[in-house]
Amino acid sequence: MIKRQNFGQIRILEAFLAVIIIFSAFAISANFTVTRCNVENDDLASVGLQALMQLDSDGSLGKLLDEENWKGLRETLSLALPAGISFNMTVYNEQMQQVNPTIISNGALIGQKTAAVEYVCVSRNPLFHCYVIYLQLAVAK
Amino acid sequence: MKVHTRKIAADSSGQLLIVTALAIALLISSTVAYIYELNTKTNSKPTQSLSNFVLALKVGTRNAAISSLANISNGGERTILWANLNKLSQLFTSIRNIGFCNLNFTLANDTQYDSGTRILWNTNSGVSSAYVSFVLSVYGMVENVTANYIINITTAIRVSGYFTRTEGDGKLVNLTCKVYNEGDYTLAKNMSVFYENLGSWTLANASNNLSIVDYGNGTYAISFNANIPSETVHVLVKVYDMRDILVQAEAFCNES
Repeated sequence: MIKRQNFGQIRILEAFLAVIIIFSAFAISANFTVTRCNVENDDLASVGLQALMQLDSDGSLGKLLDEENWKGLRETLSLALPAGISFNMTVYNEQMQQVNPTIISNGALIGQKTAAVEYVCVSRNPLFHCYVIYLQLAVAK
Repeated sequence: MKVHTRKIAADSSGQLLIVTALAIALLISSTVAYIYELNTKTNSKPTQSLSNFVLALKVGTRNAAISSLANISNGGERTILWANLNKLSQLFTSIRNIGFCNLNFTLANDTQYDSGTRILWNTNSGVSSAYVSFVLSVYGMVENVTANYIINITTAIRVSGYFTRTEGDGKLVNLTCKVYNEGDYTLAKNMSVFYENLGSWTLANASNNLSIVDYGNGTYAISFNANIPSETVHVLVKVYDMRDILVQAEAFCNES
């Protein structure tokens, strides 16, 4: 008699348990997705390196550095990088002396994840010039 | 009997619901886990960053070869190529963000190349070239890579032409010049034409009605007027390609 009275409540409990199980599966999946996002942030350095390589492959990066065209460099790099990525760039010559007098940046480096890239750029100018570029990147919030 | 079975089925339907939910949850979790694993394997980060580093290094050595050849073709010493690559090699070795890197290079030295460069400016054709083979060893934090590659930078031109008589010693010279980078047609950055007049080279300019028509595919049609007594017109074409590498060639033009 007691069993029959509680029958409806037990059914509700069972259904509730089933719903919890399915939702917990979704919760675990969501955790996997979050981890995947972190991996994407780790690839930030790769994105930065590829952007620099893209500019360097036709000699335009070296030309901008030779001309000390920091504004042009900032704009070109902003275009080469995906939207939502902020950067800070410092350029050194072969003797590791800083070449750029002002910060080459498209905004403050505020982000959950940051990455740094070190890149050697050789200009195509007949007068041989090597530059070491330090590029810091962050995914803008 | 039927009523009894139905009763059991009705009593255990809640448990069946939980078991089904568990199965569905397991399916969802395993599918997501599988997709995640698959993505992690394909996006193996150390391999990607190392291959990017090797690619960046190749771009650097290529630019160094271009810079050196531009210098040498403009009258610089042939030793510049070795000096520049050596400097670059040392700079790459000092960068340790990926591991330890060692870049060795060998300049081509054979019947065609001397100290990795070939400057051959002849009649009807001219070649300015640099040829270097590299051995790159990267001892990374996760894996090691050894790569052999060759950098070949070649700018070449072909020049041919003829002239037609105008008045007296006047001649209308027509030339065709083709420009190549590594065997493919390319555009010239700058081009100057000279003709030999009484033993010295004279620059053809606006006073000679110089016309250079760019066909956009590496072919240039050049024409100019020259007032010279000789029966053949000796011309010299100097071309700077987009990389500032100089190449030149002479041509003897006969009457068409």
